[in-house]
Amino acid sequence: MIDVLIGAMVWSNLLVLLALGLTMTYITTGVPNFAQASFAIVGSYIALTLLRLIGLNPYLSIPVTFILGGILGLSTYYIALKPLIKRKASIEMLMIATLAWDLILFGIIGAYSEVLSAITKKTETLFVFTSLDFNIYGIPGRLIVSSLLVLLTILGLYLLLYKTKFGIALRASMENPSLAEAMGINVENTRLFSWFLSGALACMAGSVLPYLQEIVPQTGYFIVVSIFAASIVGGLYHIVGALVGGYIIGISESLFTYILSILLGPGVLVYSKVISLLMMIATVLLHPRGITGTEMWRRVERWLNL
Amino acid sequence: MIKVEKLNSGYGKLQILFDIDLEVPRGEITTIVGPNGSGKSTFLKSLFGLTDIFSGRITYQGKDITYIPPHEKTKMGISYLPQTNNVFTNLTVRENLRIAGYILNGEELEERINFALEVFPELRGILDRKAGSLSGGQRQMLAMATALVRKTKILMLDEPTAQLSPKLAQVIFDKIVELRDNYDITPLLVEQNAKRALEISDVGYMFVSGRVAYGGSAESLLNHEKFQSYFLGVVGIEEC
Amino acid sequence: MVELITLILFFFALYVIVSLSLNLEFGYGGIPNFGKALSVLTGALVVGGILNRLLIWYFGIEGDFISASSLAAYRMTEIVSQNPLIGLGIFLFCVTMAVVAGAIAGALSILPSAKLKGDYLGVTLLAISEVVYLILFYNTEIVGGYYGVSVPDILAFVPGEYRVYAYTVLALICALLVYLFLEKLLNSPYGRILRGHRENEDLIKAFGRDVMKLRIKTMALGSAIAAIAGVVFVFYSSSVVVNAFNRVEWTFYPFLIVLLGGKGNNKGVVLGAFIFVLLKMLIDFYKFDIKYLLHLPFEAVWLQYIVFGILALLILCYKPEGILKEEPIYTPPIKSRLKTNP
Repeated sequence: MIDVLIGAMVWSNLLVLLALGLTMTYITTGVPNFAQASFAIVGSYIALTLLRLIGLNPYLSIPVTFILGGILGLSTYYIALKPLIKRKASIEMLMIATLAWDLILFGIIGAYSEVLSAITKKTETLFVFTSLDFNIYGIPGRLIVSSLLVLLTILGLYLLLYKTKFGIALRASMENPSLAEAMGINVENTRLFSWFLSGALACMAGSVLPYLQEIVPQTGYFIVVSIFAASIVGGLYHIVGALVGGYIIGISESLFTYILSILLGPGVLVYSKVISLLMMIATVLLHPRGITGTEMWRRVERWLNL
Repeated sequence: MIKVEKLNSGYGKLQILFDIDLEVPRGEITTIVGPNGSGKSTFLKSLFGLTDIFSGRITYQGKDITYIPPHEKTKMGISYLPQTNNVFTNLTVRENLRIAGYILNGEELEERINFALEVFPELRGILDRKAGSLSGGQRQMLAMATALVRKTKILMLDEPTAQLSPKLAQVIFDKIVELRDNYDITPLLVEQNAKRALEISDVGYMFVSGRVAYGGSAESLLNHEKFQSYFLGVVGIEEC
Repeated sequence: MVELITLILFFFALYVIVSLSLNLEFGYGGIPNFGKALSVLTGALVVGGILNRLLIWYFGIEGDFISASSLAAYRMTEIVSQNPLIGLGIFLFCVTMAVVAGAIAGALSILPSAKLKGDYLGVTLLAISEVVYLILFYNTEIVGGYYGVSVPDILAFVPGEYRVYAYTVLALICALLVYLFLEKLLNSPYGRILRGHRENEDLIKAFGRDVMKLRIKTMALGSAIAAIAGVVFVFYSSSVVVNAFNRVEWTFYPFLIVLLGGKGNNKGVVLGAFIFVLLKMLIDFYKFDIKYLLHLPFEAVWLQYIVFGILALLILCYKPEGILKEEPIYTPPIKSRLKTNP
């Protein structure tokens, strides 16, 4: 049972990091990024490469995956989206562009996994880091590291968004880009920032993910629904939504699978996606703006004076 | 201060304004009135550069600004406050004021914020409240205060008293007069609240169907038969 | 060479069916159906999951589903080889079932998001399709999952060497019928309302049409059509392997075809399908040569993904209207006026 809880927390932490980027880029660019899950798998393979080639512990490679992930996020915006936005493409066209970008990343990941296999003379199309994990008083490293990453991210974002001039400008442009532009703020910077952070956080999460589950090039296709469910349940119009949604989805998925596995035996992992889907559909039906878009949430916020 | 000559503008292929000639004198309140759909809000947007301009010329202190983008105009001292969404609701009052002076450096910014709070002392007590939680009147004052932070010389207001109680509307009108008298700001208003707006104004224009139907002193417009027919309901639109 | 041409024609027919159905939903109706693969999968599910169970029950075969399916498929194939009418009967039965099941799946999948705008609509459709796919893939008891199940050969009466040709002809006939049906349908008042809905939802509302009903109807129709392709595909490959119905092959590629050909133009989509399938089959067919020739240190299939991803981005950017632009609508009164005043 304790293992289930640990797994649930780690998975939730990673989902928060992945959903944060999805929500941020949705707010600034207005497009749901279908390639978000592939960002994470790119991160997993960067960590794997550093481990195999220079023996770097995947936890220590996080700064590298963070930066490379940021570059990946920026190139997504520059290559796949910006040319279309300039031509005033519709939201549907932008969504197809992220699907196309996702396919390109999938192709690159698959090809790269075979290239890496050829270099290391091992099969690298499927891997885990679980055996590399450390342990402090019985608490596995993946729980400590992923929780720290979430804490640092939240703290960093809070300081940036509420305590710096750039952050206030960011929040202003997210809320009302045309008014922000009229104030002399360069709204494009907000987009660049959100895409950098989105890629960086996702790749960072990706370098921890192999401690939790097996990675194959197709893993992105397996986790994408969970990320979208987290962002939508929490609310796509509010950064905090990713935090709320990430924990709700992460914990529900893990506990639901645990209960099912007691009832039906092993091999029920896939049904965790059903619970995410149902929660997402319930949100879309009842309150498309998610939990952070409800009146109750607004009251909580006022009470917290955020 | 602003001079508009033969302006034709609209959105895309749709023309809304036709051959507008208009002048906004410095240090005076100019008000544009007209029935719904007469193009008066579009006119303010055209001045600020938010529509497509097909032909004509707009000059500001003698300089041609017809095709200058909005953020450049902001730097030149031209401010435009739309009717809705004119403050950032998720930001506090203080943050709204700070962001209004985004292009200023630290010291100057503090100075300008203090100045804006002198003009609008009502905002002092609510600096840490979110703009979204303010009343309509407070929000309008905050919007006007943000324009002061930006060193505005000409302030374009799109229906600043819409949805306000008559009492609050009067407070806003008094502030507009104060801006003209004490701070050398030239207000340019578009108002549904036509009669009361013209009462505080110096210059008045009336738009009908995208054209200037009348222009002159505010007083003369108030007494003009066209104005009376529209706003006091004597005759129908077709007869004008 | 004949083998390659047949292969191209067969998949051309399949992609024509699926892409035309997507063109109905997306090109004409503006519904970004990122769950297109679900409807093709529904067709496969009807054959592998329902027909097989009926046959197992009919023959009274015992044992686990996968091996029982093999036996049932084998017995049915034996019968069909003696009696062509039974084979065709099974095919028509499956197509009918697939149309019904596809319509239900399509209508159900859009139900939660039918009122919402494009992005929520697209995300929800993709999520539903992905989850159903994942369940059918990992749960081998429903329709064989990643192991796959055999299905009977409904054209077993055709001598072995002509079998592939027979299936290709069958697929082409289906594609032609779908094309003719859609052309007629889209020139009806329904087609015009559908286009109107894409351009301006509020206008349709103003005319007293229910947007939600229109979308549900369109998705039901589109999914019903695409399910036929699923049926033809599994009979052709005489098995259902769930991997074959993934998002890339049956959602992304149809989108690529619609964009390439020209959305809102059925002729363009047919042309787009041909160009796409030609490219895809050439890469598939010569994958070992490509790998050798380019000294690729990886399988050519990854290259195929990258190439088609880039192609989609290029089309979106430089030719979003596709090869053939959407044609204006000519209703009979307009046509007659055009004739009298050219």
